[in-house]
Amino acid sequence: MRSVVLRANPLVQLSVGLFSLLGSFWIRSLPVALIALGAYVVAGLLLLPGWRYPLVCLGFTAIAAVTIVYSTWRLGGHDVEEAVTAGLRIVVLAGPGSVMAGYVDPSRLADHLAQTLHLPARLIAAFAGALQKFTGFGLAWQQLERVRRVRGFGPSRNPLANGGYAANMSFALLVQALRGASATSIAMDARGFATAHDRTWAEPAPWTRLDRWALVVAALLGCVPIIARVAGA
Amino acid sequence: MSLGGARFEGFTWRPLGRRDPVVAGLDLTIEAGERVLLMGPSGAGKSTLLHGLAGALGTTIAGELSGTAQVEGRLGLLLQNPADAIVAERMGRDVAFGPENAGMSRDEIWSRVDEALASVGLTYGRDHFCAALSGGEQQRLALAGVLAMRPDVLLLDEPTSMLDGDTSASVRDAILSAAEGRTLLIVEHRIEPWLDHVDRVVVLSAEGAIVSDGTVRAFLDGPAPAGVWMPGMPTPAPLDVPADLVRPDAEALSIAATEVSVELVTRTLRGTQRTQALTDLTAAISPGRTTAFTGPSGAGKSTALAVLGGLLKPGGGMVTPELRRWRSRRLAGAVGWVPQNPEHGFLTSTVGDEVRHTARKLGREVDVDRVLEVFGLGRFATSNPYRLSGGEQRRLALAAALAHRPGVVLLDEPTVGQDPSTWAAVVGWIAAARSAGATVALSTHDADLPLDVEHRMRDGVLQ
Repeated sequence: MRSVVLRANPLVQLSVGLFSLLGSFWIRSLPVALIALGAYVVAGLLLLPGWRYPLVCLGFTAIAAVTIVYSTWRLGGHDVEEAVTAGLRIVVLAGPGSVMAGYVDPSRLADHLAQTLHLPARLIAAFAGALQKFTGFGLAWQQLERVRRVRGFGPSRNPLANGGYAANMSFALLVQALRGASATSIAMDARGFATAHDRTWAEPAPWTRLDRWALVVAALLGCVPIIARVAGA
Repeated sequence: MSLGGARFEGFTWRPLGRRDPVVAGLDLTIEAGERVLLMGPSGAGKSTLLHGLAGALGTTIAGELSGTAQVEGRLGLLLQNPADAIVAERMGRDVAFGPENAGMSRDEIWSRVDEALASVGLTYGRDHFCAALSGGEQQRLALAGVLAMRPDVLLLDEPTSMLDGDTSASVRDAILSAAEGRTLLIVEHRIEPWLDHVDRVVVLSAEGAIVSDGTVRAFLDGPAPAGVWMPGMPTPAPLDVPADLVRPDAEALSIAATEVSVELVTRTLRGTQRTQALTDLTAAISPGRTTAFTGPSGAGKSTALAVLGGLLKPGGGMVTPELRRWRSRRLAGAVGWVPQNPEHGFLTSTVGDEVRHTARKLGREVDVDRVLEVFGLGRFATSNPYRLSGGEQRRLALAAALAHRPGVVLLDEPTVGQDPSTWAAVVGWIAAARSAGATVALSTHDADLPLDVEHRMRDGVLQ
């Protein structure tokens, strides 16, 4: 059951985010917001393979939600319920999509974008090549961290200095990413990418019964706020 | 120009940030089906010529280009840094990239993928994560990606530089078999194994000009050009590096690993790849000795160094002293580590600053000019480290990691991509550090490196 999300095709995975985004427009009251969020939490508990990563995503989404809550409360007549509703709307809007994005396999996504949606093959191949770089970032980060530590520029006990360290590391990773992108684009062109006019794909892009059911579940989750609102919640 | 031919006419290239061109006014024609070995000292512009044919200069790589570099037919280029060539998350799809671009059928794609992976000796299977491969394995994967395309023109930049002797031989066979009837332009420092298989040898000078161009026979009979590993030449004498540049400014530690095991985990949300990098490693390194970890790519050599240097937490076993628990500044005072990918080691924007950076942090004096002279980098003191050639970057990474005279010197493949004179400088530094009492450990497949102790490894186990 918990591997459903991994087995579903990438378009279905991304559809969860799309439906949650559309559904969030029907969130206008606190009960509807709580019901919608509750539905996604239950679905997550039942279908996601782990809880750490969704919690991290939720944490980042919560930062956006808190700022919305505060600004709505401040500018909206100090109405707590309205402010919390606005915050939860953001969580429903962005949370499910951000979680699902992490489970998308770049190569499978490219297969589906090109073969199912018939988007331009070269654009999609380049997009997939860029996405897969994220897997290598962890390794590059590890190497950059080791070098800084062994050269005396590792993290210290001072939290302020560690802020600078994190910024420095992020910049170094950005430099690596940009340089790697240039080199990868050379490597791609040198493997026929520059002249790939009739590109084929090594894997098919099938729609299985699981995909169809998963799409229905994603759509139903997106409809939860609509149903709740129509039902008078 | 016929299919498979390549030509340079008045080819001049000056990278952004460099005062002088790397290559100036070069004319060179390579006929279809010719097998050409391109060589020259580190920084001579060999990789530049390959990038020129690939159409990357002035477009992807910034700089001033004049003249022409043309190639007729489908191109396959192997870059010096194999990690840059990875375009997919898993091995099978990565190798399939070229055949997909060529519009092949699915059956043909996978038949070529399997054949190419087998020809370079990668047996992990199609779904293995590319990020879980070692440096040498990534080099073989990148080569498989090129071979699977069966291009009209094969451009290979040091295709066996990170491989041990046995693996090099089998990869060389795979290249020669794939290059049958095609044009091959290959850049290598260690040329001897290639000479029986090429038609022509082109030698570049340090200034990027052609100093010799002819048959293998003519090359061997002619005067030995500078900066080239000539067949049968004696191992160059290590450079005499002044002791004051390398004498440890900290205690040279003895480090012992006892039954150390390490499992490297490449984790994504879609799956986890576990690789047993070390199994029950028991080894020690001590002052005044050079200890080498040798073996094929993926044997665990780099992991062994990282564990000994306190840069990686072992999954089991014990390392004494436990450098992993030392704070950064203390560790830097004691240990110098040169990573396999030199670009990971750069922290500043000029070559000179790079060399003095750690020493300044530790309050130690460094004679930057002399250090740069030893490594042949004196004229680049104000250059950006990223503007150097591959071999120059590797020497800079070494200088930057060791200029502050640590007591423990750890080097990951230190002699890759070096010509005889720069090899002598690198080895001279290592030998001088050892003689001055430093603890030296390195991972290498360079049979010419002088060693005191050799730990041969395979699949994470000492042989």
